[in-house]
Amino acid sequence: MEILLTFIKDALEVLTESLWLLVLFTGFFPLILTSRAGEMGSGRQINREGVEIFEIHWRLTPMQSRFYRFVSPFLVLLFVGLLPAHAEIRETSVWWLPRNVNMFGHAIDFIFYVILVLTGVTFIGVFSVLGYFLVKYRARPGVPAIHSHGNNTLEVVWTTIPVFIFLGLAIYGNEEWSRMRRNTPPADALPVAVVGEQFGWNVRYPGADGKLAKMDPLKVGKDNPFGVDPADPVGLDDFTSYNDLVFPVNRPVRLYLGSKDVIHAFYVPEFRLYQDMVPGRVYDFVWLKAEATGKFQLACNQLCGQGHYKMFGKLSVVPVAEYEAWAKGKAPAPAVTGTSSATPVVSNQR
Amino acid sequence: MSTATLSHNASHASHEHTEPTGWRKYLWSMDHKVIGLQYLFTSLLFLFVGGGLALLLRWQLAYPSTQVMANGDVGNPMSLAFINPQFYNSLFTMHATVMVFLVVMPLLIGAFGNYLIPLKIGAGDMAFPLINELSYWAYALSGVILMASFLVAGGAPAGGWTSYAPLSSVAAYNNTQMGQSLWCVGIFINGLASIMGAFNYITTIVNMRAPGMGFFRMPLGVWGLFITAFLLLLAVPVLSAAAAMLFLDLNSGTNFFNPAHGGQPLLWQHLFWFFGHPEVYIMILPAMGLVSDVLAIFARKPIFGYRAMVYAMVAIGFLGFIVWGHHMFVSGMNLVLSAAFGVSTMVIAVPSAIKTFNWLGTLWGGSIRFTTAMLNALAFVLMFVIGGLSGIFMASTPVDIFVHHTYFIVAHIHYVLFGGSIFGIFAAIYTWYPKMFGRMLDETLGKIHFAFTFVFFNLCFFPMHNVGLGGMMRRIADPTAYEHLRSLQPINQFITLAAIGLGFAQFIFLWNFFRSLKYGAPAGNNPWEATTLEWMVASPPGHGNFETTPTVYRGPYDFSVPGHARDYIMQHEPPISESPVGKPKRAVSAG
Repeated sequence: MEILLTFIKDALEVLTESLWLLVLFTGFFPLILTSRAGEMGSGRQINREGVEIFEIHWRLTPMQSRFYRFVSPFLVLLFVGLLPAHAEIRETSVWWLPRNVNMFGHAIDFIFYVILVLTGVTFIGVFSVLGYFLVKYRARPGVPAIHSHGNNTLEVVWTTIPVFIFLGLAIYGNEEWSRMRRNTPPADALPVAVVGEQFGWNVRYPGADGKLAKMDPLKVGKDNPFGVDPADPVGLDDFTSYNDLVFPVNRPVRLYLGSKDVIHAFYVPEFRLYQDMVPGRVYDFVWLKAEATGKFQLACNQLCGQGHYKMFGKLSVVPVAEYEAWAKGKAPAPAVTGTSSATPVVSNQR
Repeated sequence: MSTATLSHNASHASHEHTEPTGWRKYLWSMDHKVIGLQYLFTSLLFLFVGGGLALLLRWQLAYPSTQVMANGDVGNPMSLAFINPQFYNSLFTMHATVMVFLVVMPLLIGAFGNYLIPLKIGAGDMAFPLINELSYWAYALSGVILMASFLVAGGAPAGGWTSYAPLSSVAAYNNTQMGQSLWCVGIFINGLASIMGAFNYITTIVNMRAPGMGFFRMPLGVWGLFITAFLLLLAVPVLSAAAAMLFLDLNSGTNFFNPAHGGQPLLWQHLFWFFGHPEVYIMILPAMGLVSDVLAIFARKPIFGYRAMVYAMVAIGFLGFIVWGHHMFVSGMNLVLSAAFGVSTMVIAVPSAIKTFNWLGTLWGGSIRFTTAMLNALAFVLMFVIGGLSGIFMASTPVDIFVHHTYFIVAHIHYVLFGGSIFGIFAAIYTWYPKMFGRMLDETLGKIHFAFTFVFFNLCFFPMHNVGLGGMMRRIADPTAYEHLRSLQPINQFITLAAIGLGFAQFIFLWNFFRSLKYGAPAGNNPWEATTLEWMVASPPGHGNFETTPTVYRGPYDFSVPGHARDYIMQHEPPISESPVGKPKRAVSAG
């Protein structure tokens, strides 16, 4: 009984929450209602060869058109009035992109909106043309179909236009992609190493010298997640944390990403950032610059086993002074126990 | 060649060999129609298995059992306690595996390929009937093996249907060594079935077309299956090899994919997606072809730009082999390479756009009959447009950084695979069911089924775009574990409710399907007034299909030809005028 009540409560809650979806899809009902099954029977006929055929008439019955005339003002009201009001009481970004705090995110969001407009216009165009054709060219007695095998000019037109649009999108996208991924990170970037394991995040920060010890995928092992040489003088003042990242705001951060066992992925939606971490290599080309402070979650977004769903870490972006105070309070990393571990990982960067 | 075709048909017609009857028919028959029906029934069974798995995982997402709230409230009265995170991983792995390898491929290629290819090209049977039968039994065996993985120690594979190594290849990482091994064996055997089917189709289509059936007189349904067969032949062996390597990694101590011992995890991804992307087109091209046939029949019009449609499918088939890298933009492969894959991916959208415009052109000026089959075909076009357009977001490398592996891509794949392939399959079933069983499906039930399926499908999968943009990762057993996903939970519950509705709507179809076997109105030879060769013979066609080999005089879509009393002229009808256009120019082409 309790289960039933909960279910009904949830269902009602969800239905009210999802009001606009219902409104959106009311648009589909004419198609379905007007091709009502009842009309099939009345359209059953015998053709000249004596074979039974079906003739279907596509029309809005007076009752249906009255229904739509009746509901349309309400639909408009819902769209114009209720929905924004409804959106206000929500937390931000429930239906849409989360806020962007990464310098590179603007370009991604911009391309996203460019594509959204292009695809939206295309979709509305195709949808309206299809709807118009379905009404206009419905089967009617005495109106034969046009006999046409096509039109080569049209074929050329609707081949060429998409080619230019898609190539333009590809080229423009690649420009941004290169800017994000191929450009060398600025020299003053804070290096941070993040190494995934089943099921958590090892994080390594540079000490006072601002430099991380060199990471070698060959040396990554059970006791040495970062694959560093314990004798490396640069690494002596490095400090580590687990599932806890702190980035200074407005300062470039260069990530050194790796994995101890299976493939993990570094994913923070607010940073518009996703990078697979395939074991056996260190990814050194990802960098970011947080533009606002806040608390976020670093999620693993590549299936990594049983505990994948809860492999997340805290990620805070804080003012530079706060970051420095936090870093000062951290003890240097304990010396790793051995350079050659039981399961050495081989580099794939030949 | 023509003599070979003729004698083959003649031998069937004169019943030189006996056809098994009764239940024996479904064990030993080599008749392509029986094998097609075997594929149809088996894959429909798996459709319900795969759907059931989907509902279980949807339930878990709406009401996660491991929920730990801030107030210490553990557990949820609505949760299904037996779904733990590992089993959840098994659920989505097996849902995808079942749907891809045991439902969509066998339905489109096994069922409709087998049933329709010989009938549509005027042949008596497939070129290699025995191999055809073997292909079905290999498929059935692979289904049994994959299902058996639920019963072994450790449970079904839980590494995703993509089985990325080294999670899948090292037992210590995945805890499902036996299940994953069975997956490899099942996929390998399933691949054998596909390969046997594929070369059979190619041989049949190249060699056994009726006199006058030139390549450009083949219905688009046959074209789609023809191109698909080439894709299968080139792509599936790669997956089989990869599955064999994965099996060896798991069980025999090899290290193809394990970086800890010098292996290369990205090798698996390249092998898998070299199969995996053509696979996407393997699952949509036959549906595109069949839907084109359905649209022409019920719009009473020739296909707009028939040759453009064929060239577009050929282009998709070719380009499909050079876009696999777009699944790996974020895997850290060479950045120049990803730029190249980005361009080729954008280019492959062009032939899809051409096909959509030509479908619209086919409807233009038609005399559209809104049968259930037609409604499903129209839904195919619309949903494929949505799925295609949402694909552009992923094709753009910068946007892919953001939407990769989120629910946005889950929405995309389901708009293409369910909205595309499955609506195409429904359109095909409603169209050719009368041919297969001699009886009509009930149109009233059919329309109710369509209405529910269409509405619930959109209610279920459209919000996934929003959930994905909101940052929800795929393949997580409990979204409420994440702070930033908790506010999305109402949408997740809404999606689950819609999914349940979608699942239950399919029982209307099932009821209609089995009820009509007995009580459906008799169909007659050509209930839809269509033009292609399968509609000239009895429903269901007898063993050997055609009494005498038909001669083809015209293209596949002679609808609404001016000056004719009837609005369709069948392919085997000789031309009435002396116009040379209709003469069989090439009695046997490319034989």
